[in-house]
Amino acid sequence: MSQDASLNNMVGPIVRAGEVADAVAEAMEIDNPGKEVIVDDKLAYLRISVEDECILRKETMEEVLGHSFEMRELEINLSSFAGKIENTKDYVRFYFERHL
Amino acid sequence: MAMIERTEWYDLLRATNWTPKYVTEDELFPEEMSGHRGIPIEDWETYDEPYKVTYPEYVEIQREKDAGAYSVKAALARDKFLERADPGWISILQAHYGALALAEYGAIVGEARMARFSKAPGNRNMATFGMMDETRHAQLQLFFPHANCKLDRKWDWAHKALHTNEWAALAGRHFFEDIIHSRDAISMGIMLTFAFETGFTNMQFLGLAADAAEAGDHTFSSLISSIQTDESRHAQQGGPMVKLLVEKGMKADAQRLIDIAFWRSWKLFSVLTGPMMDYYTPMEHRSQSFKEFMQEWIVGQFERSILDMGLDKPWYWDQFLRDLDETHHGMHLGVWYWRPTVWWNPRAGVNPDEREWLEEKYPGWNDTFGKCWDVIIDNLVNDRVEQTLPETLPLVCNMSNIPIVGTPADGWNVKDYPLKYKDRLYHFGSEPDRWCFEQEPERYADHLSFVDRFLAGMMEPMDLSGALKYMSLAPGEIGEDAYGLAWADIYKEMAHKKAG
Ligand SMILES: [Fe+2]
Ligand SMILES: [Fe+2]
Repeated sequence: MSQDASLNNMVGPIVRAGEVADAVAEAMEIDNPGKEVIVDDKLAYLRISVEDECILRKETMEEVLGHSFEMRELEINLSSFAGKIENTKDYVRFYFERHL
Repeated sequence: MAMIERTEWYDLLRATNWTPKYVTEDELFPEEMSGHRGIPIEDWETYDEPYKVTYPEYVEIQREKDAGAYSVKAALARDKFLERADPGWISILQAHYGALALAEYGAIVGEARMARFSKAPGNRNMATFGMMDETRHAQLQLFFPHANCKLDRKWDWAHKALHTNEWAALAGRHFFEDIIHSRDAISMGIMLTFAFETGFTNMQFLGLAADAAEAGDHTFSSLISSIQTDESRHAQQGGPMVKLLVEKGMKADAQRLIDIAFWRSWKLFSVLTGPMMDYYTPMEHRSQSFKEFMQEWIVGQFERSILDMGLDKPWYWDQFLRDLDETHHGMHLGVWYWRPTVWWNPRAGVNPDEREWLEEKYPGWNDTFGKCWDVIIDNLVNDRVEQTLPETLPLVCNMSNIPIVGTPADGWNVKDYPLKYKDRLYHFGSEPDRWCFEQEPERYADHLSFVDRFLAGMMEPMDLSGALKYMSLAPGEIGEDAYGLAWADIYKEMAHKKAG
């Protein structure tokens, strides 16, 4: 029988491959100090995972991209995400309510 | 003029539960459409959508998305990818569009039901955008294949399939009519947006996008992954519904809806996505096996989110995990064998190196499913093609409406799960399929499966030709082996060498 992979605590965005995806991966490192950011490259998309909770800031995205970026523009490339989402103008947060 | 921040006015703007003057609240929100379950309207107002969007924002972002998808299509049109694509890949595209393009139109209706009948204002607002999302998905997935109609009649099935009584289309309709078209707004929201969209659509629209990128089909990869960005937003509507139901002591209700939708989605994907990923995609382009994608998206991501809601694993969870190793292999065997009955050309995908891959991904494959393929290959090597084609119909499940399969040969577990209800004998492919029926027998009891219809004399003449006619499959549309059986040549050579 397959092992039960549902018992995990990984959250984070799944982003369509491209400039924005690479920037998200880089920004996540900056915005989540002390946490391990795992980037799984599936060619069509990057699955970016952090344990329990992570944050992605507009400011950091702009810094990494080198141009202005509205947080809502993330949706153009945000194909999916693990965990729950909190969307604001300044940041997006992915989290679980319960730790398993 | 200074602009007020969206966060400061959004909640007020979407507070649209005005007091009705000309009708009563119950007339405005009849329970059979609304599904409010007697929860007071003030409590529905606490529904807090995690993804808040305003109309100007929506239009701006969607315009960007469409510009992206259409420009990739335009840029690659001259690339003539389809002319050099593996026939198995073409089959994936034709099966995908036929099964899903019109189902997206169905999803518009589901979103519209929430937009009109949900008592939660935040739900109504998000569903209005959801309605437009699904319109986009339907139109994109009709427009893209339409350009190929000049190449092959099978492309026309993007639009045609769900209008016919072809058996897979019938199974798809039975599923979508169950979870979308015949439920109240809240039940539908939980089953469609939560169970189906945050869960299973990721398999078909992202898992397959990964294979498409590997195969060099960037038009398709970009299209379906773009569609999924809408899904990831509007799929968030079901979560707060589940939350409210759990708070109101209706956890069992939410759990049951999810368990039904989850199982039914799984069966549909086992016949559609499973063969595509493990057999139709050329081996060198497979980024992961179907089971690995299921582990990534459904077990690791979706099931985890169910647990976070305070719900439990479905009661059939252990069986589901076991079935990840088995069901879709049986489905593939059936679809290939009954290939004249589908609108695409199934690719066998059982060359010696492919069998090695299957054995590695699914230990024991050669001693089970492989033994059925041994017989088929032996028939092909000895020019008995007719013995690799059907003369009868398979036993079909009265819930999933797809063949009843199990593991053959050394792992034999093929079994019918019958149920007698009001003098009629029903057949199911598994315990959970039968359980779905038992939840609400009257909902399903009158439906005739493809085989029931055949036995009822609804297909004339009563043979394969009558069945094909009933399915509207004309010459040029009838499925054939994707390579015209040329893949078996390697086995012929091996047999020659052995004999010589
Ligand atoms: Fe859709
Ligand atoms: Fe959708």
